[in-house]
Amino acid sequence: MAADVIHLDARGLEPPQPMIRIVEALEALPAGAELHARTDRNPVHLHPFLAERGFLGNSTAAPDHEYGFLTIIRRAG
Amino acid sequence: MNTASSPSSVARADAPRSSGSAGPRLDGPVPDVTLPLRFVLFGIFSLVSGIVMLVARPDLLAAYHYNQHIVAITHVFVLGFLLSIVSGAMYQLVPIVLETPLHSERLARWHFVVHVVSVTGMVAMFWVWNMKQLGHFGSGLALGAALFSWNIIRTLLRVRGWTVVSFGIASVLFWLGSVVIAGLALAAAKSTYELNESSGVNPLLAATLNGLRAAQSFLARFEPLAVMHSHAHLGVLGVFILVTCTIAYRLVPMFVIGEMQNPRRAWTSLWLINAGTAATFLAVLNQSPLKPVAGLISASGLLLYGLELHAIIRNRRRKTLDWGIRMFLTSQSLLGVLVLLGLGLSRPGIPLTPFSGQLETTYGFLAILGVAGLAILGMLYKIVPFLVWFAAYSRQIGRTRTPALHEMYSTRLQILGGGSWLAGLAVTIAGILASHPACIRAGTLLLAASLVTFAFNIARILGHLVHPQLQPIAPRVPASGGPLRTTT
Repeated sequence: MAADVIHLDARGLEPPQPMIRIVEALEALPAGAELHARTDRNPVHLHPFLAERGFLGNSTAAPDHEYGFLTIIRRAG
Repeated sequence: MNTASSPSSVARADAPRSSGSAGPRLDGPVPDVTLPLRFVLFGIFSLVSGIVMLVARPDLLAAYHYNQHIVAITHVFVLGFLLSIVSGAMYQLVPIVLETPLHSERLARWHFVVHVVSVTGMVAMFWVWNMKQLGHFGSGLALGAALFSWNIIRTLLRVRGWTVVSFGIASVLFWLGSVVIAGLALAAAKSTYELNESSGVNPLLAATLNGLRAAQSFLARFEPLAVMHSHAHLGVLGVFILVTCTIAYRLVPMFVIGEMQNPRRAWTSLWLINAGTAATFLAVLNQSPLKPVAGLISASGLLLYGLELHAIIRNRRRKTLDWGIRMFLTSQSLLGVLVLLGLGLSRPGIPLTPFSGQLETTYGFLAILGVAGLAILGMLYKIVPFLVWFAAYSRQIGRTRTPALHEMYSTRLQILGGGSWLAGLAVTIAGILASHPACIRAGTLLLAASLVTFAFNIARILGHLVHPQLQPIAPRVPASGGPLRTTT
């Protein structure tokens, strides 16, 4: 069965608002679900916090001809 | 699975890259924020010191600039203010831009110590015109610049391929090395050397002295004013203006939510500014009639930069421009005035009269405090709140409500400060052109007033490190119609 996916569009926001929105969304992320977050830039400040708070994340350039980056995050373990 | 939001037709200039917490860069590329912050704070301290010196001695700007005190104050601004902040900004931005950690934060911390001691010593030695000790402190500055360049170059080499920004940074490092060497040669040329060769001399010391004498005799071929002016152009054009253009290509799209519009134009602009810096240095040094040609090469690079910046702003996705960006863009429009003045002064055969001498002083003043200074003040309103916010609040995200960046300082004071800075520039320049000390004092007092507003805002921002303003987080509202959507 496919995992629940929460989509978050954090584009158009000035740093650090995208990071705040993403981390706040992660606080409520159900077990087994994934957060798919869109940002204008590669969220380089985010990744140390993901590791620290027990999440795994991967950022890539948006794959669907949209601008920005897509970061897929799930709980570790 | 659905896609998240409405599509956009805006093209993406960045090459597709991937990074993640599951990858090899678990700690992330972000350096300790106190590292850039300490350079920034020393830079602000130097700016305040330089303005206070000008308020105390307005007569210095009312006379021709080739005197020890103006040279000392100029180095307060270019080394203490501009180079410190450029160094701090590079340590913060280069790892983020290249998405790789800084080669060594420890080296950067040593750079800070060496830089502060050397700049302070250099300014004091310029003031009392002690060329021997100036050379010693200047060697310290060169050591700091070498540590900085080594650190940034090693970081650049971690990334394959060149972007406009990494090319710009490498160019700035090249010109930084060049201007430091030129400055040391200048100090060597103005020193005297005595060596008792009859009583056994250390070979290393003898070789050093022979090298210094060789530099002295080489520079004796050139006119002293031309040597100083060529050194100044290397620093201002090759380092400070080039770094402004380079950083703008990265930061302006980030802050206005936009993209570089024409990478080829951006590349060409940086190549032309590099070529213009080399040509201007040689033409000024040799008092060549080709100075206008060198100026036109630089001007064409800066024109392309201006066109690209305009295109980025015109195609931005965030419609409102905040005051930090407005201050930066104002400084870049002053760059146009500076270029016209520089081209005018490059005409061959202009006699050195009291007025043409004051025009030269205006040119330098506008470059340092008008273009580079205002650009940095504008960008500091973007960079310092972020650094402090990150240090004070990043661990609290999702647990408490943290302030927005614009809530960390007074926008009203920021506008007042920007306005009084521009008024101060205009009044001081009028005083310089008229060789009128009272007018210069009035102008520098306006600049000082601007710095008071700036210092108040910076203190308010830094206060968040001591007294973080944390509030309970608002109850979570179920996502419906907002940025959060759920699919299976």
